[in-house]
Amino acid sequence: MNERYSRQILFSGIGREGQEKIRNKHVLIIGAGALGSGNAEILTRAGVGKITIIDRDYVEESNLQRQQLYTEEDVSEKLPKAAAAEKRLRAINSDVEIRALIDDAIPEVLEELISDVNVMIDATDNFETRMIINDISQKYNVPWIYGACVGSFGMSFSIIPGKTPCLNCLLRTIPLQGMTCDTGGIISPTVQMVISHQTAEALKILVEDWEAVRTSFVSFDLWRNQYTSLKMGKAKFAGCLSCGEDRTYPYLDRENMTKSTVLCGRDTVQIRPSNQGKISLERLATQLLSLGYKVKGNPYLLSVEMGSERMVIFQDGRALIHGTKDLIHAKTIYQRILG
Amino acid sequence: MNKVLFFAHLRDAVGKELIEINASGKTVGELKEELTEKYHLPRMETVMTAINEEFASNDEVIQDGDEIAFIPPVSGG
Repeated sequence: MNERYSRQILFSGIGREGQEKIRNKHVLIIGAGALGSGNAEILTRAGVGKITIIDRDYVEESNLQRQQLYTEEDVSEKLPKAAAAEKRLRAINSDVEIRALIDDAIPEVLEELISDVNVMIDATDNFETRMIINDISQKYNVPWIYGACVGSFGMSFSIIPGKTPCLNCLLRTIPLQGMTCDTGGIISPTVQMVISHQTAEALKILVEDWEAVRTSFVSFDLWRNQYTSLKMGKAKFAGCLSCGEDRTYPYLDRENMTKSTVLCGRDTVQIRPSNQGKISLERLATQLLSLGYKVKGNPYLLSVEMGSERMVIFQDGRALIHGTKDLIHAKTIYQRILG
Repeated sequence: MNKVLFFAHLRDAVGKELIEINASGKTVGELKEELTEKYHLPRMETVMTAINEEFASNDEVIQDGDEIAFIPPVSGG
């Protein structure tokens, strides 16, 4: 073992044996935004054998404040995040086998990637993808680490199949109007704190120190100086369709996914969420206005100007994205606003 | 009496981090409904609830002196 990892080897939780284990493991990072950048950088520096990172978006100026792998040059070239991340990660550590995919993390794609993965890191910005990760985790018996943040508030929870409750036990349904960084803002320290929780858990899992893995659900608010840690034993739900006895892995089923379609003859994509329910257009309008978006609306719909696109959101969560024919891009815009 | 704590955007909706009310004998679900009406809280059905720092389901009955916390799962990343 070379000098490169000497300080990490010196740490009693890892040691020479732990470093060797880290070297032989594969981590799948889903998302290459703020959480994905930070997780990928730390794990690349730590000398993980293989890292796969998947993302469907491209680098924009508003990412630079917190997405640590990207540069102004990446913005001007409009590089896909996966491609920009791959370039930077390879420059950081040539020992690590980096694989970057410019793709949407839908069930088929993740099922193809999962075979030799030891842990998945959640770096997504929406609950639909998290529920897919959660079902994949249960089906293929691979742990995953939930992480999320908005404003100064962040949270993390390690999900170990057969041991902890799963995300579906906790939520039972996909929250339709989860707060996102595009609606609630975000400061970089919040991101870093979530990343620290996720990567510490990942290292424990990679060195197989299962005793050390945190079983509580952690949440914190860095601005209001709150830190809470919840015991989760009671959250395990026997009837859970993702991890219970009669499991069906509902989120791997196409029927339960957000449907997007290009509207015939128009430069418009329609997005129809899987979980239809009434959303508060008034509250959403107030949030978007305070963020400087141009918003127009009536009791039935809300129209938001977003650069070259315009999104029209209906009360049932359905939306039309005008100005694009790209399904993945349209879904990205939608989930940015509606989580 | 019971202390009820609110996190993230729920705290903004209520206007403070902590309220004291008598919720003893009510279920978590009933308390959620009551607070949703009083403070116009958004989407409480997927908000996680803790009683004395332990996850609690909607059917759990609140006892006198229990500390309740509402933690909304956020999706940013």
